[in-house]
Amino acid sequence: MSTKILTIDDSKTIRLIVARAFKPFNCTVLEAANGVVGLSVATREKPDLILLDYTMPVMDGYEVLARLRSDPDLKSTPVIMLTAEAGRETVVKIAKLSVRDYLIKPFKEDLLVERASRVISLKPKSDDGEKRKRYDDPIHLLIVDDKPAISAQIRDGLADTNWKLSCAEELGQALDICTKTAVDLVLVSHSLPKDGAYMLFQNLRSVANSAAIPVFALCVKTAVADQTRAQQAGFSGIITKPIDPSDLKSKVCRALGLETSYRYFQERGNALVLSMPKEISPHVAHEITSSLHGRLTGIVDAGGDKLIVDLKQMETANLQVINLVLSAAQACSKLSLKYAVVASDTVKAECRTCEETHVWPFAKTVEEAESVLAK
Amino acid sequence: MEDLTRKAVQEVFQSMVSIDLTPNAASDAGLCSGGQIAGSVGFIGEANGIIYIYAAVEFAHGLTARMLGISEVEVEGEEMVNDAMGELCNMVGGYVKSRLCDAGHSCTLSIPSIVRGQQLSIEGVTQVSRRVISFAHGSHRLLVELLVKETAEE
Repeated sequence: MSTKILTIDDSKTIRLIVARAFKPFNCTVLEAANGVVGLSVATREKPDLILLDYTMPVMDGYEVLARLRSDPDLKSTPVIMLTAEAGRETVVKIAKLSVRDYLIKPFKEDLLVERASRVISLKPKSDDGEKRKRYDDPIHLLIVDDKPAISAQIRDGLADTNWKLSCAEELGQALDICTKTAVDLVLVSHSLPKDGAYMLFQNLRSVANSAAIPVFALCVKTAVADQTRAQQAGFSGIITKPIDPSDLKSKVCRALGLETSYRYFQERGNALVLSMPKEISPHVAHEITSSLHGRLTGIVDAGGDKLIVDLKQMETANLQVINLVLSAAQACSKLSLKYAVVASDTVKAECRTCEETHVWPFAKTVEEAESVLAK
Repeated sequence: MEDLTRKAVQEVFQSMVSIDLTPNAASDAGLCSGGQIAGSVGFIGEANGIIYIYAAVEFAHGLTARMLGISEVEVEGEEMVNDAMGELCNMVGGYVKSRLCDAGHSCTLSIPSIVRGQQLSIEGVTQVSRRVISFAHGSHRLLVELLVKETAEE
């Protein structure tokens, strides 16, 4: 069973930063936007660690702590207090409370993890034999929308994935599916009658088995008030209608921590090949950039010494592509890796219009790049 | 007080957004002709004042993405940007408040608030000293305005 960490903070930003910090570890991060909700989640979930904001509306961290300590079931739950106020008086006050530690904002994520690891045992996900799910795994999504056209639109947009889609038109049906099958992520229409989206959200959060399932609200693009309300209620994210399949896939990947970089990176002998897709959307650029460093250090660790950036699929190279390759080249320099770029004459000429690319060794094929780099 | 605020802004943005803000010549000139976002946080007690942090909406959007480690297209709506800017303000305010308290000026911090608009400008009432601190990050600017009631020591 994974470790449970509860973050109680009125700032969604901080809750997201906490969730991201613990993502590499085998733990479930539960969230609460204020002290009252936090106590309710703590009572239900019995977390192994609580990260508690000191200054919050509704009920501040001081009162939350007092109530935790008066509850026989929760009194020994370790608490790390987070505060933006580092004054001596505040620190002394916090130190007098029965907290295990405190952290002053601003803080770096690694410091948070380091402090938490003094209190609980944090195991990397890979150590638990739990394989990280991949983009091409059969992820199970539940779409809850009373308009079949929207479900059909999502189904069409995800037709090129292996994801399994279940559809429900009302709350009862949706809860039934969640009870009977393992659902990885829920997409629910914000416009369901009688605040159905919120009813479903609360129902899922109140049951231990479904409390950690990411729930996205489907909102009309221009309905800013609906989006704001859903975010404030704690939904994992917003998908705007009309649905952009690329945006949807990216958000699902992110929410479920799906491994996607294998689509762009392949190992070939002692080289890492970065194959750029034909079109680079901002999501794709982000996926490549965020996994580049890890992939490069991985190849170095495995004894490799070169990177081949393959632009063969591209018909044209815009500034975004050039910037991506420049970042890859810079990362190679830092790791003392050799690199080469595979491109057509047209793409090569377009790259050459940018002065920084003049040092790039170009080749027409991956094999040619290998031979250039072997010299 | 001005130095303290400058240091607070630089430390908070370095820790949470991983960017180095370079102080440049203070200026009252607007950030840009487009939309602006202003976060504010106040401190009240033996020291009284308000700190405003202004950024162009586009820059605030980028700061939010960096803070959350996501791409700019993944920043969902104004609420996420407001929350991130509010949290940055809260941290800057907390830093300043803590140093004031340690120096014997006991005060409490208000909750942060966010204003959006075009060509925002703040006018203090009398007996309020006003300082504008300007920072640059690449082509972006960040303005910090500090209003302190003159009874408080700076």
